[in-house]
Amino acid sequence: MEKELLFDSATWLVWLAPLAGVLAAGLTRRRDPEVVGDKVLRHDKAAIIEHWTHGIGTAVLLVSGIALGVWFLPSLAGSGEPVWNWMDVHFVAVVVFLFGTFYYGANTLLAMKRFKEHLPTKDAIDYTKRHYGLLLGFKKFTFPPERKYFESEKMAYILALGATSVIILTGLLKVAAHAIDIPAGLMAIATPAHDIATVAMLAFFLAHVFFAAILPASWPVLISMFTGYVSLKHAKHEHRGWLAELGYEDEDAKSDEPAA
Amino acid sequence: MADIEKKEATGSGVSRREFITGVGGVGVGAVLGGALLKGILLPDEVYAIPASEGYLLVDTKKCATCASCMLACSTAHYGKASLSLSRIQVMNDPLGLYPNDVAQNQCRQCPYPACVDACPTGANHADPETGVRMVDEAKCIGCERCVQACPFTPSRMQWNHEDKHAQKCDLCKDTPYWNEEGGPEGKQICMQVCPHNAISFTKDVPVQTDAGYDVNLRKDDAWGQFGFSTEDDGMTLSGAQGATYGGH
Repeated sequence: MEKELLFDSATWLVWLAPLAGVLAAGLTRRRDPEVVGDKVLRHDKAAIIEHWTHGIGTAVLLVSGIALGVWFLPSLAGSGEPVWNWMDVHFVAVVVFLFGTFYYGANTLLAMKRFKEHLPTKDAIDYTKRHYGLLLGFKKFTFPPERKYFESEKMAYILALGATSVIILTGLLKVAAHAIDIPAGLMAIATPAHDIATVAMLAFFLAHVFFAAILPASWPVLISMFTGYVSLKHAKHEHRGWLAELGYEDEDAKSDEPAA
Repeated sequence: MADIEKKEATGSGVSRREFITGVGGVGVGAVLGGALLKGILLPDEVYAIPASEGYLLVDTKKCATCASCMLACSTAHYGKASLSLSRIQVMNDPLGLYPNDVAQNQCRQCPYPACVDACPTGANHADPETGVRMVDEAKCIGCERCVQACPFTPSRMQWNHEDKHAQKCDLCKDTPYWNEEGGPEGKQICMQVCPHNAISFTKDVPVQTDAGYDVNLRKDDAWGQFGFSTEDDGMTLSGAQGATYGGH
């Protein structure tokens, strides 16, 4: 007798995880960014938890999902017990991912400014051109007064938001199919949609890891994803617009103000 | 500075935070309560599905392993002749001796279908109208638990390596490339094409042994007139056959 999949024996955890995330958000007291001496609080503890549960969940989901076969890629896991083991890994990652994502979502609902600061502004193209033009060595550009999140990051956020939403919606449908009869026509749409959103998520994930963890210029921010703080010096150079929003007055700041 | 709670007038004086906490709390309670109810308080589920209304019977002592049934099966279901895509698998042991050198591995439409029980998504199911055990390809997630669950060797479930889903004999109920009606009330293409009439169909549940599905189909046609044995063991010749043919 082959072993039972966790998706069948522990389905209730898939439904519990997002609701637990929502409950946790309701019980969480957030701390807004602020300048503290020579450091700036960038991420409070809730943000760190949101990020790593969602992020590690995503990473393991991508690896296990690809092992199981996605879109036109065949299953790398073969057949039989290796497939079931990878499905169990996928299940554990689903639970972690759902908790983290819904924790983030509910926290965001409680403070919509946290959502708005992720959205691209009308400066998106201009700031991105200046920012990366300078990085690539074009000295004619000056570093723009980026806010907490770079405009390029905000544009990538839209991709992540869309991919995550489709993945969750179709994923929950696929989990529901283990317990109730979902019409085959709906499953014929849900599975390819899940796969396509996975590819989009993979593209975002690879870019995010490169720009946030591998690029040396991003290491101060990477550290802040553990400690919560970036140095004031780093924030003055990379996030002048954000410091202005926090009310920090820097005598060295250039005159151009971020657009409203 | 910490978040400042806003008491938004929602008619009941509930703040957004209180609402979110309430939704989360009620949701967690409902899921845990439901899990407790299902796991401990409710009785175990009874697994019961209807029997199939049709079964394929074969006579391996008649089979010439021409593979016509296999090629016809894949053609009817997928529009191409492919031994790999056939849902009936005929095996010939080149070192074996008659009558034990041929196996016609048809799906037995088991009264207790382990393959259906093993399927986590209901893709492999018993058709509600006819009881035929068949796969709904759109629901198949490719876990191949059904292939592993089949108690027979080779498994009567196959993995369709081209379209990436499990497949099995459906008594030709769903044959997009054959314009005959299939299923228990219709025809089965393997039976239609077999040049030796080595495949038959019955609506009665066979005896659940190998002998129940591998039967003697040699008595009612010209088999005996060619001098071949029409006895169950496939070896014994009747007196008349022995006289004209001289034995095996």
